[in-house]
Amino acid sequence: MTRLSKDTSMLGRGVKRKRSCLEELDAEVLPDAPRKVDKKQDVDGDRDRGDRSDMSRLQQRQVVLSLCLKKLQDYQAGMELSLRRSVLLVNTLRQIQDEMQSDRTGSPDLHLHSINPDSCLLRDDFREDLLVTCPGCAVGNAEGLSPSLFPEFPSQEANGSSEQHKPLSSPSCSAVSDATNATGYLSDLALDDIFEDIDTSMYETSDLPSACAAGSLWPISVSLWPDENMKPFCPTHASGGGLQSCLMDLNELDHIIEILVKS
Amino acid sequence: MAGPGGDMQWCFSQVKGAIDDDVAEADIISTVEFNHTGELLATGDKGGRVVIFQQEIENKNQPQFRSEYNVYSTFQSHEPEFDYLKSLEIEEKINKIRWLPQKNAAQFLLSTNDKTIKLWKISERDKRPEGYNLKEDDGRYKDPNSITSLQVPVLIPMDLMVEASPRRVFANAHTYHINSVSVNSDNETYLSADDLRINLWHLEITDRSFNIVDIKPANMEELTEVITAAEFHPHQCNTFVYSSSKGTIRLCDMRASALCDKHSKLFEEPENPSNRSFFSEIISSISDVKFSHNGRYMMTRDYLSVKIWDLNMENRPVETYQVHEYLRSKLCSLYENDCIFDKFECCWNGNDSVVMTGSYNNFFRMFDRGHRRDITLEASRENSKPMQVLKPRKVCTGGKRKKDEISVDSLDFNKKILHTAWHPQDNIIAVATTNNLYIFQDKVN
Repeated sequence: MTRLSKDTSMLGRGVKRKRSCLEELDAEVLPDAPRKVDKKQDVDGDRDRGDRSDMSRLQQRQVVLSLCLKKLQDYQAGMELSLRRSVLLVNTLRQIQDEMQSDRTGSPDLHLHSINPDSCLLRDDFREDLLVTCPGCAVGNAEGLSPSLFPEFPSQEANGSSEQHKPLSSPSCSAVSDATNATGYLSDLALDDIFEDIDTSMYETSDLPSACAAGSLWPISVSLWPDENMKPFCPTHASGGGLQSCLMDLNELDHIIEILVKS
Repeated sequence: MAGPGGDMQWCFSQVKGAIDDDVAEADIISTVEFNHTGELLATGDKGGRVVIFQQEIENKNQPQFRSEYNVYSTFQSHEPEFDYLKSLEIEEKINKIRWLPQKNAAQFLLSTNDKTIKLWKISERDKRPEGYNLKEDDGRYKDPNSITSLQVPVLIPMDLMVEASPRRVFANAHTYHINSVSVNSDNETYLSADDLRINLWHLEITDRSFNIVDIKPANMEELTEVITAAEFHPHQCNTFVYSSSKGTIRLCDMRASALCDKHSKLFEEPENPSNRSFFSEIISSISDVKFSHNGRYMMTRDYLSVKIWDLNMENRPVETYQVHEYLRSKLCSLYENDCIFDKFECCWNGNDSVVMTGSYNNFFRMFDRGHRRDITLEASRENSKPMQVLKPRKVCTGGKRKKDEISVDSLDFNKKILHTAWHPQDNIIAVATTNNLYIFQDKVN
């Protein structure tokens, strides 16, 4: 039975939220409605409430950002994601990022305690770090996936190097870097390691997606924005050091296609 | 809720489906639709099956008659498929069923999953031929030398058999997931809509369709909006509408151009700035659009409200009904558990005076447009005694909870009513919970 966030823990790295934290956030951070001013309170009291409201809004923004990234990363092997859901998530993500951007350029008396103005999130080259180049795009498929749609994914080239992920002090940056770390981890693994424990006899048809997932971030991208012009599988289109792990032996490829055709 | 003849009360009539709480995934109802006379009621489920119920009217001449819906036909409409090109499964879940107006003894309906639309013919057979010249009754061929006279085969009665056969398969026209199917008033064409495109088909032709709306950007990076629902006007065969994930509705005229990318009318209500939040766009996404029977209005359903639009006024709806406004302060939690993406449908009653939509906790809501009244009812096994009158439900939004009220935090968000249907002429409604179909009718006083 699904109830509203009574005991569900915050999504992410096993960080336990205190009970009904989301509900508190929900209750505090109502949209930008004008607050009723209690005339009995002094001005400082008002400012305190304003501070708390801003903090709550920032907290909620943080929560929504984390959830957004997690939802965009989640995918079920072999199932196509809902395009509507993905578009809505990406739009929400963009809205939050735009807001963060404008906060940085906004007035100095905004209470941005949790945002380090110099954080890497806001640097232009960080955006590039997060861009992904899928094999299809690398080959120049104009209708293929666009890198900037997926700011949470690290670029293939950046996978190996750890210095891309600068030490991050702000919670918002850590949320994004968590996401990038997670996806970078996948691409660093050798293909065989992934297959070691998996009993593929029952899940023959899902071999390809899991193989792709292990090798690259590309099928995650494919399922978010399906495109009829996309080539489904182009292991030979390697374009950089980071794509090495995406390559499969042609023998393995033949073997998998054989299984698929038989099924 | 008062009707023109006095107070109208809703009574339980029937419930279909398994009783146990363990819901099999395949049994989850995904669409409900009455045919044009209301005699037949079709449901589609996640397992790709279609079940059709037929109304048996007992004692129709009596002032208080009960109509019962019994199973008429069950068939497997769609099977799961695998897209080898993209390495993705294609679900067999029936997204929509739409009946064709009846032209002869047989009934026809369109059923669709994410990728393929099928035209099914449902026909009755209650006679069989007997007395063939060349065959025995059991089918064995007679020795021609033993035939000395000719006879004319006669049709003899047999037990009623209802057969469903696929007459057309409309495939390979949709890259994205089909969300809507709508039969045109010309009874020759129909449209199918996916996330980015709408296609126009002729019912007789399966190997081609016309693309009439395409909102796919040249650069997918610029994609910010998808099509969520589409429907033909009930009388004007050149007019259709489609809704978007951004809360807009576009009305298109097929006479204007072959590709209806330019709308004739754009219906959009400016956002209330005091309600702005991170979830504003998500909750403005329209999940269903339905024309009124008289063709003058259309109704849209977004996450928190139902809006009635006059086709002649684009800048705002003429009526707005809050379905569950108490959820506005819970949007973050609903975002976390994905409920904020739930797609609720809505429907009109036969004379367009009342609209209905579903909510959570197996609640459903009716809004009486004329009398400005609304009611919340519940579809549950506890209220399932024959002809039991449904008691109105109330959600307590804050402060002291009164007796019989339920607090927002106690609502079960797993029990959602996404699909409802209203008989085209009578006050009979079909309400689908997760895996059960409830039929309610008004109590004739």
